[in-house]
Amino acid sequence: MLQKQTTSTRFFRTKLTKALALVAGIIVLYIVAALTLGYDLTSFGAISQGFAWLFHYFMPTGNVLQFLGAIVTQIFRTFLIAVCATTVASVFAIVLALVGAKNAGLIPVIGIFIKGLASFLRNIPLAAWALILVFSFKQNELTGFLALFFMSLGFLTRAFIETIEDYGTDTIKALEATGATYPQIVCQAILPALAVPLCEWVLYMIENNIRDAVLVGLITGSGIGFLFDLYFKSLRYNAAGLVVLGVVVLVIAWEILSIQLKKRIEHHAKD
Amino acid sequence: MLTVKNLTKTYNGSKRSLEMVTFTVRPGEMTAIIGPSGAGKTTILRSINQLIPDDSGEIFLDDQDIRQLNKQGLRRVRHRIGMIFQNYNLVDQLTAIENVLHGRLGAKSALAGMLSLYSREEKQEALDLLGEMGLADFAYKRCSDLSGGQKQRVGIARALMQHPKIILCDEPIASLDPKSTTLVMDILKKLTTTQDISILINLHQVDIAKTYADHIVGINQGLVVFDNDAAALSDEAIQEIYA
Ligand SMILES: Nc1ncnc2c1ncn2[C@@H]1O[C@H](COP(=O)(O)OP(=O)(O)OP(=O)(O)O)[C@@H](O)[C@H]1O
Ligand SMILES: [Mg+2]
Repeated sequence: MLQKQTTSTRFFRTKLTKALALVAGIIVLYIVAALTLGYDLTSFGAISQGFAWLFHYFMPTGNVLQFLGAIVTQIFRTFLIAVCATTVASVFAIVLALVGAKNAGLIPVIGIFIKGLASFLRNIPLAAWALILVFSFKQNELTGFLALFFMSLGFLTRAFIETIEDYGTDTIKALEATGATYPQIVCQAILPALAVPLCEWVLYMIENNIRDAVLVGLITGSGIGFLFDLYFKSLRYNAAGLVVLGVVVLVIAWEILSIQLKKRIEHHAKD
Repeated sequence: MLTVKNLTKTYNGSKRSLEMVTFTVRPGEMTAIIGPSGAGKTTILRSINQLIPDDSGEIFLDDQDIRQLNKQGLRRVRHRIGMIFQNYNLVDQLTAIENVLHGRLGAKSALAGMLSLYSREEKQEALDLLGEMGLADFAYKRCSDLSGGQKQRVGIARALMQHPKIILCDEPIASLDPKSTTLVMDILKKLTTTQDISILINLHQVDIAKTYADHIVGINQGLVVFDNDAAALSDEAIQEIYA
């Protein structure tokens, strides 16, 4: 009994020591990095000042309403670009994933190729995509669309492949045993079984792409990102602030909507 | 009707799983394969409808070597071989009747199968089969809401929808309670006597094999060590199979 207690005491003391060591390690890392960069540790004090400045200038006040029409139009267009890019990408991604998933049992080399391609597309930063595409497609909405499309294609293909592979081979084999062809198995088993998680990935991707569309617009000179850039550079900070507010409202609205959509999808799947 | 000759199979990088396995399933009989875990029972069943590729041997279903068929031919043969599983392997998100209708996929055009374009007769047959399985009230229930015993009966209905000559069963009762076990085994047995369907069934329980099967094949480490009428299964034979 006594023996046991000392063992447990030692066990928990060791755990505590380890946790403290971890925290200490992080602090040391910060200090080393900050010293190397020459940060003044007291500069945190300036943060509140910075925010005060931010609020003062970016407050959408005054005659800002004159910009409202243009802003709402552009936010809506940006939203549509994000939705288009995601939906088109998800159509291509599901085809690639259905061919590339291991449990599909199609040609393994093609699967490896598709996974490699998807990782490649996904791991190029969005800003890099936008910059590269601006070269070839000039500054317009198509460029923004393509940047979001390639990025989403990579991300969704990987996500779909993982979802499909998690489904395993049991049911697929069972339908194969009835003499069903692979396209039939896709429509009769894989898609009905995975409809909910696949749709959730698409909703998540749209949410991300709305946010990213602003950045892409900034770089490719289109949509709401362009408008922000314009107001900012022409010192109309209050209008730029309204743009930010508008984007936040859009993202929150979409989040609320997509939670409702997810509930519907899950509920429908249960009926 | 089904003859397996000298079937041999080695999985990648492991030792031989099946070694010159030979046996025959006679029409209208229930043949049970028994043997210890890892003996190769599942491997035999999956080789018969070529869900896994084997190394060599012959598998004759009514004078046709399944191993020599092209893709279309294999699809046609698979359609005449029903299969049920320990874990049922239904599409849980679909209703019972939809799962039963999957038994028609092998006979339909690719497109009709993809779009669930089943005829009125097919739907009626699926409903009748569910009725025979005692599941008339569950036709439009999602399979995830069914009990294990009910799921297995949906699985049997799916197999029967194929109008099979033979049904392969891979430990169909291993996840069931005693009552469902009896129910499912009685249904399978009845198929052999009233519909002349042959059944090849992998079983863990020797007593159930002895009660229901007409013919028993004992496997140990990929070798057939017993192949005779169920009545001839002596205690020594059992010892040898499970050695
Ligand atoms: N996919 C696989 N890859 C490699 N080896 C495998 C694979 N499947 C089965 N084996 C091996 O082949 C042998 C036979 O396996 P099998 O599943 O046919 O046995 P079983 O008689 O069905 O066993 P159980 O009663 O546990 O279901 C075992 O040694 C197993 O480890
Ligand atoms: Mg097995």
